[in-house]
Amino acid sequence: MIDHTTAVVLAGCVLIGATSGTAGAYALLRRQALLADAVSHAALPGIVLAFLLTGERSFSVLLPGALAAGVTGAVLVQHTVRWTRLEQDGALALVLSVMFGTGIVLLTVAQKAPQASQAGLSSFLFGQAAAMLSGDVVGLFALAALLLFAVAALWKEWKLISFDAEFAASLTLPVTWLDAALMIAIVAAVVVGLQTVGVVLMSALLVAPAAAARQWTSRFGTMMLLSVAFGTLAGLVGVGASNAMEKGPTGPAVVLAASGLVVVSLLFGRERGVVWVRLRRRTKRRGVMAEQLLSALAQIAIQHDDPFEPRERGLIGADQLGAEEYDDLLALLERRGWIRCVDRYHWALTPEGLDAARRLGHQRGSA
Amino acid sequence: MRARKQPLHVPHDPPAVHIEDLTVAYHDRPVLWDIDLDIDTGRLAAVVGPNGAGKTTMIRTIMGLLRPLAGHVYLFGRPVAEQRRRIAYVPQRAALDWDFPASVLDVAMMGSYGRLGWFRRPGRRERLQAIDALQQVGLQGFEDRHIGALSGGQQQRVLIARALVQDGDLYLMDEPFQGVDAVTERAIIDVLRRLREEGKTVVVVHHDLQTVPEYFDDVALVNVRLIAAGPVEDVFTDENLRLTYGGRTPYLPSLRPGAPSPESSQ
Repeated sequence: MIDHTTAVVLAGCVLIGATSGTAGAYALLRRQALLADAVSHAALPGIVLAFLLTGERSFSVLLPGALAAGVTGAVLVQHTVRWTRLEQDGALALVLSVMFGTGIVLLTVAQKAPQASQAGLSSFLFGQAAAMLSGDVVGLFALAALLLFAVAALWKEWKLISFDAEFAASLTLPVTWLDAALMIAIVAAVVVGLQTVGVVLMSALLVAPAAAARQWTSRFGTMMLLSVAFGTLAGLVGVGASNAMEKGPTGPAVVLAASGLVVVSLLFGRERGVVWVRLRRRTKRRGVMAEQLLSALAQIAIQHDDPFEPRERGLIGADQLGAEEYDDLLALLERRGWIRCVDRYHWALTPEGLDAARRLGHQRGSA
Repeated sequence: MRARKQPLHVPHDPPAVHIEDLTVAYHDRPVLWDIDLDIDTGRLAAVVGPNGAGKTTMIRTIMGLLRPLAGHVYLFGRPVAEQRRRIAYVPQRAALDWDFPASVLDVAMMGSYGRLGWFRRPGRRERLQAIDALQQVGLQGFEDRHIGALSGGQQQRVLIARALVQDGDLYLMDEPFQGVDAVTERAIIDVLRRLREEGKTVVVVHHDLQTVPEYFDDVALVNVRLIAAGPVEDVFTDENLRLTYGGRTPYLPSLRPGAPSPESSQ
């Protein structure tokens, strides 16, 4: 059976995965994945400052500091883009490194402080799931519930500003406020994961479930559900794997599990996974080639008195196609009932095949 | 549509769009300078001018999205802020992310979001409105397609359908004819004429000078300042186009030798 500590960590990681999946879907669709990375790095000075001011090490005390610094980072990025000649990428790099650097400097200062409790503050860099307390889990649960409520209440508004903010404004929606609320939701989702997953890896956990979900669907609602499911799954698998490893690092394991889901989805996702896309393209290409072959065959057939009498194989098209491919296409045409293969060396057009060829020729003529 | 140099007496029937002394600037750089313009109700009006002339800015200001440095905009005789619900808007297609996970029907239904208000989801009625609007632009049968799988012209028609669902009195369209196929161009023109028959006012940012006389009743020639505005047959002259495009006219419809000399006021 699982002990109390493991249960707390498991519950915490599942909740972090679920909130990441939810907020991450918006971050990904609004092209703010890198902004999330800047936010998580920017949160570090906030965490350390909160510790220096209060002398407390508990996450619920440090959280407001992280939140404030994270929001500051996001706002700084937006204002840098707006008021300087730097583009988004430059602004992100600047804010991320300046704030993270400040955080590291503050961390050094904090470690020289007399209190004994500063030990473990640096675990925010890479995360330390074991530091989670049952109180933290209650807080996480409250936040997840709040986020869920906000997503449900602002469903169509948040969807619309993510797709077309200008149109939302034309509908007299308060876009600035909706935007700010969504930004705070994303920052909050990033910040709550910092203790467990760490500043460095958190944005990966935010983006991975959404990126994986997008490979399976082109529907907003379905993507959201899948993203939450993938986040939750990553939490479960990550904790399970790190437990199996005996003192394995939990946060990175969760991130790795999420990344694994991304890789699998990129390859096999039903909507845009590489394998399926290739397969669909191949099927389509084969279909077009079969249709072309059919028209060529029909052209020959109708030059004779009886278009349906058997003709010798390899008369047409074979010079452009490999023998195997040619056989393959003839087999495809036969499966569709457009020709029949009389014996190894002869084929004959069927009435259905002639109809189909006429129809295709007509389509092509009018296109 | 008319340009005004002298303030008019308050007309009996207020124009759909009334722009007075309007100056708009981005970061201290004026984009629109001292514009006075009226667009009458029930007209198809084109806004024409070179790149960077402030056409999109004009549309955004009419919508109340930009705060002008000076001047004001009235819609149907009332300040914009009170009339924004009467606007239906078609943004530039290129400004949107067509990879966004949404179906054609989803996007068309977004036109109903303003009416629905907070916390209400689109239901059966909104669905039917969206299906009807898609039919009007010739996209029946495309409802469940992902928007990324459409051609450019079809995407443009989805945006028009969304504006139809919005059901405004004043339609603002930012370059709806940009890079569309002939079928789409035809479909959009049909929609514009139907809207005019219903008494709606349509303002279109337009780039193709050759089609202005055929498609529109009124035209406003803009290059930061308003060069001229009024009925196409009065205002759309060689001279005015030269003034608008600074001698680099892509196309001069000189084609009408007897065209009247430029009149910037009525």
